[in-house]
Amino acid sequence: MEARQRSPFTLAITLFSLVFLFAPLVVVVLFSFHNTGSLSFPFTGFSLRWYREVFSSAEFTRALENSAIVAGVTSVVTLVLGTAAAWGLTRVPPKFRAPVAVLVFLPLTIPGLFLGISLLVFFVRIEFTLSLATVAIAHFVYVLPYFLLVARAALDRLDPALEESAADLGASPWLVFRRVTLPQVWPLLLGATSLAFALSFDEFIITFFVIGTESTLPMFIWSSLRRTVDPSINVISTVLMAVTIGLWVVAFVFTVRGERSRRRSLEPLPTEG
Amino acid sequence: MIAGAHEEPGRSASWGRQLQLGPIALTLPATLALLLFFVAPLAAFFVYSFLTAGFYSVTGPLTLEAYQDAVTSDVNRTLAVNSFVVGICVAAVTLAISLPIAYWLRYAAGGWQIPVLFLITTTLFASYLVRIYAWRTILGENGLLNSGLERIGLINEPLGFILFNRFSVTVALVHIFLPYVVLVLYAGFRPISPALLEAAQDLGANALLRWVRVVLPLIAAPAATAFLFVFILSPGHYVPPQSLGGTNGVLLGVRIQTALTSVGNWPLGAALSFLMLAAFAVCFAITALGLRLLKLDRIRFAN
Amino acid sequence: MGNGTAHLSIAAVTHRYGSVAALDDVSLQIEDGELITLLGPSGCGKTTLLRVVAGFIRPSEGRVVLQGRDITRVPPHRRPVNMVFQRSTLFPHLDVFQNIAFGLRIAGVPREERTRQVEEALALVRLEGYGPRRSHELSGGQLQRVALARALVNRPSVLLLDEPLSALDLKIRLEMEVELRRVHRETGATFVYVTHDQREALALSDRVVVFDQGRIEQVGPPGEIYRAPVSPFAARFVGDANVLPVQINAVNAGEARVTLGGSELVVGAGAVETVGPAWLVLRPEVIRLSARPGTNGPALTGTVQDVAFRGAGFSYRIEVPALEELLKVETAAEGGIPYELGSEVVVTWDRGSCSLLPRT
Repeated sequence: MEARQRSPFTLAITLFSLVFLFAPLVVVVLFSFHNTGSLSFPFTGFSLRWYREVFSSAEFTRALENSAIVAGVTSVVTLVLGTAAAWGLTRVPPKFRAPVAVLVFLPLTIPGLFLGISLLVFFVRIEFTLSLATVAIAHFVYVLPYFLLVARAALDRLDPALEESAADLGASPWLVFRRVTLPQVWPLLLGATSLAFALSFDEFIITFFVIGTESTLPMFIWSSLRRTVDPSINVISTVLMAVTIGLWVVAFVFTVRGERSRRRSLEPLPTEG
Repeated sequence: MIAGAHEEPGRSASWGRQLQLGPIALTLPATLALLLFFVAPLAAFFVYSFLTAGFYSVTGPLTLEAYQDAVTSDVNRTLAVNSFVVGICVAAVTLAISLPIAYWLRYAAGGWQIPVLFLITTTLFASYLVRIYAWRTILGENGLLNSGLERIGLINEPLGFILFNRFSVTVALVHIFLPYVVLVLYAGFRPISPALLEAAQDLGANALLRWVRVVLPLIAAPAATAFLFVFILSPGHYVPPQSLGGTNGVLLGVRIQTALTSVGNWPLGAALSFLMLAAFAVCFAITALGLRLLKLDRIRFAN
Repeated sequence: MGNGTAHLSIAAVTHRYGSVAALDDVSLQIEDGELITLLGPSGCGKTTLLRVVAGFIRPSEGRVVLQGRDITRVPPHRRPVNMVFQRSTLFPHLDVFQNIAFGLRIAGVPREERTRQVEEALALVRLEGYGPRRSHELSGGQLQRVALARALVNRPSVLLLDEPLSALDLKIRLEMEVELRRVHRETGATFVYVTHDQREALALSDRVVVFDQGRIEQVGPPGEIYRAPVSPFAARFVGDANVLPVQINAVNAGEARVTLGGSELVVGAGAVETVGPAWLVLRPEVIRLSARPGTNGPALTGTVQDVAFRGAGFSYRIEVPALEELLKVETAAEGGIPYELGSEVVVTWDRGSCSLLPRT
């Protein structure tokens, strides 16, 4: 166990930054319960009226559904293709590994803006109507590198000796994956999928360019911001935050739990004396 | 079954071949998808920057008009300078805050490491639009900051200079990038064992000297990378300037966005984009060169 | 590289983690220029004590006095004490030369003098010319030699070594032991060495301190620890002796009549003078095996449960009826044919080569 050092200076900065990071979120959630239509201080009292108003809006419900559909499709596709790609990446001969890795992680280094506009132009050119489908495609490109970061790290940490033993005992590559690899990595993969869903659910920058007439929740927030400015925006935002943060919590719990149980299963038993 | 596997050379040979083809086949779907929906559009977009603008379309012939337009326009120059300044500020502030946080997480946090990491990364999932918009509420004349300061008695009238300018855009961008940079730096600190800091202490270095002689050199490469990415990605965020930027907080990303969507001049948008990418490449090269000159680029940890 | 009177005094040091005492009222006087080893199993507190002396731990109670000065509350970077860590702590962004010069630079030593001292340190550890190398280019043994040079170049009043050889291969470890002894001789510095390897401790030290569960069991030169352990723990830990429960029936003129596992034996009385329960300490190498009973001296019969070839001899485990543990025996290889598994043997030893310890 490594010893802890004491450092009041860095602790202070950490606390300050936590306040800095959470202040806007707290403010948004707080004002979603405001009993007046004002978004400035002072805060006069609590009320659920804006929640009632938003949830009775058909536009809101449809945007929520659309976001869920797109995120669902994106995360499933990412899970399948991403897991395959991560698995392949760890076993591909080294000369293929570098170019493929560069390709799949490249979208991380390009501003979302460029991804959005190049896809917009592309879809128009090949006359592929802009719709939720184009959004899902764009989200896949955006989300894949994040998924791969987690999946590749998960697969890298596996002990190859376990798979070798399975092969030695007669298991085909598919069985090795199903019986040995998957049981070890499924929590992390699930966490990564949850992450993918959250990222897609909240995506705005790219969606702005490739979406058609339908709306996703972030797009709905954007258009609401242009129209009226009242606490109903805070309500929609709070709902969005609740979903994505909820998914992140799920992802986190699965990832940490998966890591812990994997590590525990690899530790030698305590010796006597 | 095991004996059989050993006795049949044919079967083990196909096992070997399976091992080779399999992984490549597995990466194919994702690779192809990316080639089709990422590389191809970007390449086509690049070509577009050399075409003539139509209305939300392009036509031949090939021309450098778009690039000339992009480079000669005064507006673009101002925006470029603005983007540069804001990018540097955001990157510098984010790094300055993240370093102590990552240090604390790695060496002083103990059992608090996971909860705090969790909290910090949670804000990543708190809706991009929401966060930017929330800063408008906080920094506004009747916002949290002004009301709070007035309540304590530090000021008599609301501060007008904290919203709708470069400052508020910087604040919002720092808020956006901070969790990423903390994660990158934390990963950078992982291989630096506390024993190294103890050894420095044992050899006579007080806290300041430990930072200057040991911590900073070892974290230089990840820190420089993080700085670079924040600097590069900042101007592409077109939402903060539009919500919080006012007139002087505009960034190049806005111009590109409007070129594509409201103005309809695709070649111009493309030209601006690839000029930005070229500038990134130059910055990247300079950083890599700098690190190599200082011999801080390829530090290998023994343990 | 000598230093003045480095008299290190550890006075009643106690250190607690919660309710557990890692160190319990430990006192020790360390002489200038000696190589003293703290020996014990994992978790016995030896590393904790070392880190207290280094300054990384402030003890719950007690004092550390170095050359007359109380340094208990002095931070590590201001103590004239240097440490060699268990794993390599060479700074990866500096080469060997800069690593060794690190402490000198902080102390403000001018460049020419610095260079001279670093070269001297490299020569001391026989790594001349390795200045420009980086840590990832060095082997495990070389890394620890550089660490040694980096610590010694600052002429510390005390050099602390925290199991510096435990991460190395056996062959390198044995070579490094020779190196360490040589460096100690040439510098005349005070070394405080920590290890769990009793063989290493016996080979290196002027004195050995046997630790168990935060307390000092015994302090003394290696020979004394080996031949006259004062507790069953010390006897078992150093030299892996057989420690057998016996009942002393009579003590008379330096000899004791004891009951061991149902048999009556006569052995040397040693320090014990009273009748009652006791421990018989019997080192594996003083035991002789034969097929027939001998003439006089203590003897037991047993069956061979395990035999292993050790190059220089054989190791046996002998099952003796009424004894709970198997008896450990080491014999020389002479003749070359060991006793077979399952064969009956007679176990004998000289009366004077075993010892008795009180049992409570």
